[in-house]
Amino acid sequence: MAASEKIVEVKNLVKHYGKFKAVENVSFDVYRGDVFGFLGPNGAGKSTTIRTMLSLIRPTSGELHLFGKSLSHNRNYILRKIGCIVEKPDFYKYLSAQKNIEIFARVSGISVDKKKVQEIIEFVGLKGREKDKVGGFSHGMKQRLGIAQTLIHDPELIILDEPTTGLDPQGIIDIRNLILQLKNERNKTIVLSSHILSEIELIANRLVIINKGKSLVQGSVSELLNAQELIVSFTVDHLEKATALLEQAQMQQAINKIEDKNLLLHISQQEIPVVNKLFCDNGVNVFSIESKRKLEDYFLKLISA
Amino acid sequence: MFWRSTYNEFLKIAAKPRSYIGVGAITLIIALILFALKIDGHNFISFATRPFEQSLSFEGNILNGNLVAFIILQMLIIHVPLLIALVTGDLISGESAMGTIRLLLTKPISRTSLLFSKYLAGCIYTLVFLLWMGFIALVVGKYLFGTGDLVVLNSDGLIILQDHDLGWRFFTGFLTSYLSLIMIATLSLTFSCFSENSIGPIVSTMAVIILFNIMGALNVEFLQKIQPYLFTTHMLAWRSFFEDPLPVGKIVTSITVLLTHIVVLLAVATYKFNRKDILS
Amino acid sequence: MKAFRLIAFFILLFFAKSSSAQVSANANRLLHSIYAKLQKATDYSVQANIKVDMPFIRMLPIDAKIYFKQKNKFKVESKSIAVVPRQGFDQASKMLADTNAFNALVQGTEMINNVQTSVVNIIPVADTSDLILGKFWIDEKQKLILKSKLTTRSNGTIVTEYFYGAQAQYALPDKMIFQVDVKKFKMPAGTTTDQAAAAKKKEESQDEKDKKGKIIITLTNYQVNKGIPDDFFKKK
Repeated sequence: MAASEKIVEVKNLVKHYGKFKAVENVSFDVYRGDVFGFLGPNGAGKSTTIRTMLSLIRPTSGELHLFGKSLSHNRNYILRKIGCIVEKPDFYKYLSAQKNIEIFARVSGISVDKKKVQEIIEFVGLKGREKDKVGGFSHGMKQRLGIAQTLIHDPELIILDEPTTGLDPQGIIDIRNLILQLKNERNKTIVLSSHILSEIELIANRLVIINKGKSLVQGSVSELLNAQELIVSFTVDHLEKATALLEQAQMQQAINKIEDKNLLLHISQQEIPVVNKLFCDNGVNVFSIESKRKLEDYFLKLISA
Repeated sequence: MFWRSTYNEFLKIAAKPRSYIGVGAITLIIALILFALKIDGHNFISFATRPFEQSLSFEGNILNGNLVAFIILQMLIIHVPLLIALVTGDLISGESAMGTIRLLLTKPISRTSLLFSKYLAGCIYTLVFLLWMGFIALVVGKYLFGTGDLVVLNSDGLIILQDHDLGWRFFTGFLTSYLSLIMIATLSLTFSCFSENSIGPIVSTMAVIILFNIMGALNVEFLQKIQPYLFTTHMLAWRSFFEDPLPVGKIVTSITVLLTHIVVLLAVATYKFNRKDILS
Repeated sequence: MKAFRLIAFFILLFFAKSSSAQVSANANRLLHSIYAKLQKATDYSVQANIKVDMPFIRMLPIDAKIYFKQKNKFKVESKSIAVVPRQGFDQASKMLADTNAFNALVQGTEMINNVQTSVVNIIPVADTSDLILGKFWIDEKQKLILKSKLTTRSNGTIVTEYFYGAQAQYALPDKMIFQVDVKKFKMPAGTTTDQAAAAKKKEESQDEKDKKGKIIITLTNYQVNKGIPDDFFKKK
């Protein structure tokens, strides 16, 4: 697999609504085989960027190239290779799941193959519900059906905008597993936008973080996070004494934050027992040791900067 | 892709309950008219012959299926446009309201193609609607009232058209009515491109029809100058096929005005739909 | 001298009265003979072509079949809608049926289509009669009415011209032309929804009102005295 093949190239994307700047000079690239995380708080411009990539919104300026072609001049060619869910997947409530998939299949440039439709519906876990009207589906079922319609024409790129919004924990796990299946079993390139960090951290290999319409940073998850370093929270009884011990051990630069009785340290996994022994040997009682999500901290740092 | 999309759109129209509201309503209205005419039709038609009845007598089957069909076509000048707009006004805005427009416009079909496929499906629906109306009016009307010459009351007098001469008149009359209804469908579709909800385009279409009808009826000098250009002035062009001699010039003018409106509205709809940001 | 003038006056008066009575008696006799001739056809059927030449009405000529039976049974059968004079075709016969109902007076002669006719005026006796005034132009030799002008309260004034051919023996015409007064034709305002500007049409209609309306009925293939049953004329 040519991992270096660029599938999506977004350069200096700008979208204004009058005076309001929804997206300002956002740039990122997505390579074939990526699970690309598109991360940002609510209102950061994620949906606007994704809608622009899908030609739902006209950009004010900037370049959008997908599969090596300009979106503005090769819209149909590009969209034939993309399957997507934008925000919540909405269907024709008065039609059955099967009919909905057939309708979208027809305009995706493929002939309607009832057997294939059946296979896709089963793949997303809706077997036995294909004849039911979508109006009676739960949110989770609609989300599954949404993924079914992204796959019906076997696209190369799948774009999912907040796919787990409104789902219960089991639903979130199911969708996550489905995404991983798509990547691993069907070799799809996936762009996944979310404000839920755990989703991105668990499945994305590359990401871009945007805030207030601007892209802050992009790269591989491992590069950005430096997996060697963790934020570890020690709950102790004497904070001052613990701090003094760290100073004595010349580890004061590892102190990230002090919160109530919690001492947050920026240390590697190997240093955890060392610090624990230091505290225990010197009369500082340790009640708990917790490894905090690095990404969350990194993300919060970035957006508050 | 265009034809597949058109097939899709027609499937959607056929599956929507509101499509049958229009058909059901028109069936009920026509049934009521047929019933009323069966009970008291002779009083109704004497209204047309009364100016002459002092000196003349009209012998023959005046209240026949042809006259009934003609009356039905006349009486539905407001009702039918509303029932058409109920469906065609929902073609774009309904998808926006439902949220399905998002998915639809991420498919590899140009917006123009999609718009025109919806338009064509709407035109097919209108045709089916009109054919159904024609069937009940003419076929059921003739079954109930028999056949005969058609007596038409115009402002310049009475025209009696012979039965054998009516086939082509009804055919061309229906074709022209169809053009008028396509005009309504186009107007509501255009409004639909500007709206995110279903009710706005329907109400706007009816408001325009009512307003233009009022403007067309007022005897004000300024309005008289624009009356020939209002599409409502020409929506009754089908009636011209029941005059003798046939006012060819008038018919051509009406068809031209209606077609011009259709083309302009389609151009506006295409422009708007292509440039629209999908935010819903 | 004075006495001579008085006697001459009374003699003249006597002759005037007796000649007036004579004229009146002549008129009644003439009308009676016309009526008798009309009674010869107890029933008939005839093919008719009806052409309407009238302001405010446009229609193509139509074919119909007309049935008549004495005294006043009348029926028109046609696939098309036929426009006929309201009074029917036998008005003259009806008028002449009761000679006591009117006073008749010969008022001279007139040439109609190169035939010398006697002009007979009919004035109804009763004030409540539907007939207001009648006038007949009669060919005395053939005992045929060539023209009539009847003014009635219910139907206005209708002038009828009669043309005879093979059925002259029964006083059944080959052609009749009815002239109808169209001044009272009035189009209902605001009831039509066609595109023509009402104002413009109103102007044109004024000219139309000055015209006369005609119904021209051509009659062929008479079947006289074939015995048409009374039931035939009952309305279904």
